[in-house]
Amino acid sequence: MASKWKMRSAIAITAAAAIGMGVFTAPAKAAADPVTITIWTFGDVIQRKLIQEYKVLHPEVTLQIKKSDLDPLDGTNMVTACTAKTGPDIVAVEVSYSGYWRSYPKCFQDLRQMTTSDANASAAGGIPAGQNADALKSNYLSWRWAQGVAFDGSVIGIPTDVGGLEVAYRTDLFKKAGLPTNRDAVSKLWPTWEAFIATGQKYLKSLKPAEVKAGKSFLDNAGTIYAAIMNQGTAKYYANDGTENGKLIYDTNPQVKLAWNTTIKATTAGVGSRIGQYTSDWNIGMSKGTFATILAPAWMMDYIKAQAPDTAGKWDIAHLPVSGGNQGGTQLTIPSYAKNKQAAYDFITWYLAPAQELEVFKTYGLFPAASVLYKDPALLNFTDPFFSNAPVGQIYADGVSKLKPIFEGKLQRAIDTAIGAGLGRVAAKKMTADKSWAQVLSDLKKVVNN
Amino acid sequence: MSILTEREKRSKAPLSPWKNKNPNRKVKKAKVIPGVASLNGRWGYLYVAPFVTMFLIFGLAPVIYSVFISFYHWDPLGGSTFNGINNFITLVHDSDFWLAIRNTFSIWALSTFPQMVMAIGLAAILRNSRLKGKSFWRTIFLVPNITSVIAITIVFGQLFGRDFGIINDIIGMFGLHHIDFIENVFAAHVQIATMITWRWIGYNTLIFLASMLAIPEELYESASVDGATKWQQFRFVTLPSLKNTITFVLIVGTIGGLQVFAEPQQLASDGGSSHQFLTLTLFLYNQAFVNNKYGYAAAIGIMITFIVLIISLINFLVTRKLANDGTR
Repeated sequence: MASKWKMRSAIAITAAAAIGMGVFTAPAKAAADPVTITIWTFGDVIQRKLIQEYKVLHPEVTLQIKKSDLDPLDGTNMVTACTAKTGPDIVAVEVSYSGYWRSYPKCFQDLRQMTTSDANASAAGGIPAGQNADALKSNYLSWRWAQGVAFDGSVIGIPTDVGGLEVAYRTDLFKKAGLPTNRDAVSKLWPTWEAFIATGQKYLKSLKPAEVKAGKSFLDNAGTIYAAIMNQGTAKYYANDGTENGKLIYDTNPQVKLAWNTTIKATTAGVGSRIGQYTSDWNIGMSKGTFATILAPAWMMDYIKAQAPDTAGKWDIAHLPVSGGNQGGTQLTIPSYAKNKQAAYDFITWYLAPAQELEVFKTYGLFPAASVLYKDPALLNFTDPFFSNAPVGQIYADGVSKLKPIFEGKLQRAIDTAIGAGLGRVAAKKMTADKSWAQVLSDLKKVVNN
Repeated sequence: MSILTEREKRSKAPLSPWKNKNPNRKVKKAKVIPGVASLNGRWGYLYVAPFVTMFLIFGLAPVIYSVFISFYHWDPLGGSTFNGINNFITLVHDSDFWLAIRNTFSIWALSTFPQMVMAIGLAAILRNSRLKGKSFWRTIFLVPNITSVIAITIVFGQLFGRDFGIINDIIGMFGLHHIDFIENVFAAHVQIATMITWRWIGYNTLIFLASMLAIPEELYESASVDGATKWQQFRFVTLPSLKNTITFVLIVGTIGGLQVFAEPQQLASDGGSSHQFLTLTLFLYNQAFVNNKYGYAAAIGIMITFIVLIISLINFLVTRKLANDGTR
């Protein structure tokens, strides 16, 4: 790990130096006053390499970054900040929280009312002055953009990356099971989720009874199917009725029942190994071949490489059944009580401009939400030797382009949690599917009735 | 560390916050400072003012505010409506609340009692005058205490993994079924209790050690003259002298036990698929920051306060009884 980090920072310094030389030749417009932009973020949303590039572009700007680690967004901080009418200049909001914040547009600056200054006009990939959020909209995936639009239509956030979701599979294990290994042929195995489960059952039959007893299976965790199917629909738990609460439809939306039933079917068929993602069992199972497939967002590819380095070249990426998928992603927002809104907006529009999102993808594997890049050969021709030289850029671009905007509401995360627990109870054989669903409904009643 | 070596001083100041056991001790009369004598008593207020001010602002005010919130449907960002005592009524009827109480006390018992036995044993070993490298051992015992909970959960996750955990590897060697340390209620509690024990055992060992060093050497000498074995010395000299310390450790452990949060949160943020390790504080946190029920969460906080008060009262009565027994 240490050597990897060193290498990365060496590249970053070289890159920053190279860009620095370019900028010094171009005269800076209007000597700006020094300004400090405070940013609340998590994980790797704000990348070191690009920060250094921005420092070179704007020596007058100091970026003060505070990372939280308990939750994607340390939710409590933002609630406190908005209540106290204060806050940082930029907050990174993970998509699982976007439903909540879309109900509270008053906490955020409406980015339609901001316009870019000419601060970055001369930068690489230049951002012209006078652009508000509406002018930028066409650069991004429409459904990802919608996750940053509040219920009243104001634009509260601009998307950074998009998770995407495809099937990462082990070619060697597929071969052993007598399944095709070519990624197009594999994608054709499962036009539907039923076909995906059937393929899993076929794979299970090829395993020795002892292997099945030892916990080997087709998919890492059948529970992941639920979220995948939910994202393929056009609605989840809410319908937009123009109020901040939205209209709850979790008990009537057929997509919920479809996702639940399909996941239960996969669970009872035993096509998942029941290993929780991001546990140590998962990390070990990945290199031991305990499971042959993972529903993997783009950013997970780096995780797989780090956890199972000796499986290099044995993986490949095929399409998700039915259509595309998504897991994860982030918006950058400006709280309404930020002090340096203009400087923050200039930074965000630069940082999330297609050129920078492409750079982040190439260096860190975060897939860009800027859909204009999906026609860019630099992205389309991007292959990964770890995944049998699969054209990952093209595969994920295809997948995320198929999704539709979904209206999200306040309690989406709570509802997801309750349903996830329900699926967990069935997987752990603590309850029958019907009983567990009944408990989900009664749990949700408690959640929804304040 | 100097505290531990200054045996003499320790023996005069036992680890008991309760009362001066020696009624013959003379209380020195305060020296009168010429000139400011008339102000003598009032100066005290100035000295405690910084703490009291801070406590009122950051300690008491939030408590009063949360009592206020607990009677509302509270939305910090939107409108709030008065809800009377409905939050409390709902809470008493919420099965998750009782489940959380069960889990909290189960984890508390599993982490407190075995830990106390082990800590006393370790302290007895550290007390041994023939032990080499005392400072080294005393220092290293505190390392788990300063390790981040997140790091501890990652390491313990590798020990307790269902499929590839070391513990299950060993169980598997005997041909037994692997234990699911997440889904199985008791096993999950054991896992969490182990993490808590790991983190706090060194701290408690040092407290017991400090208390043991305060026991006068003469007691041991006369015991050995009377022909008491090492075990008898431990049983009849050391243990009775630790009574107050045991109470202290129990109180601190109980308060800590009611606040167990990070360990179960790291295992599964919702407390498990059937809430098998949902603790009271995790329940509170999830109601506030996942379900956005701030008023309800405040009501849970108040119930936790009542539980702590009841336990403190029991502790107080027991301790007073013990202290009275001691003077007899």
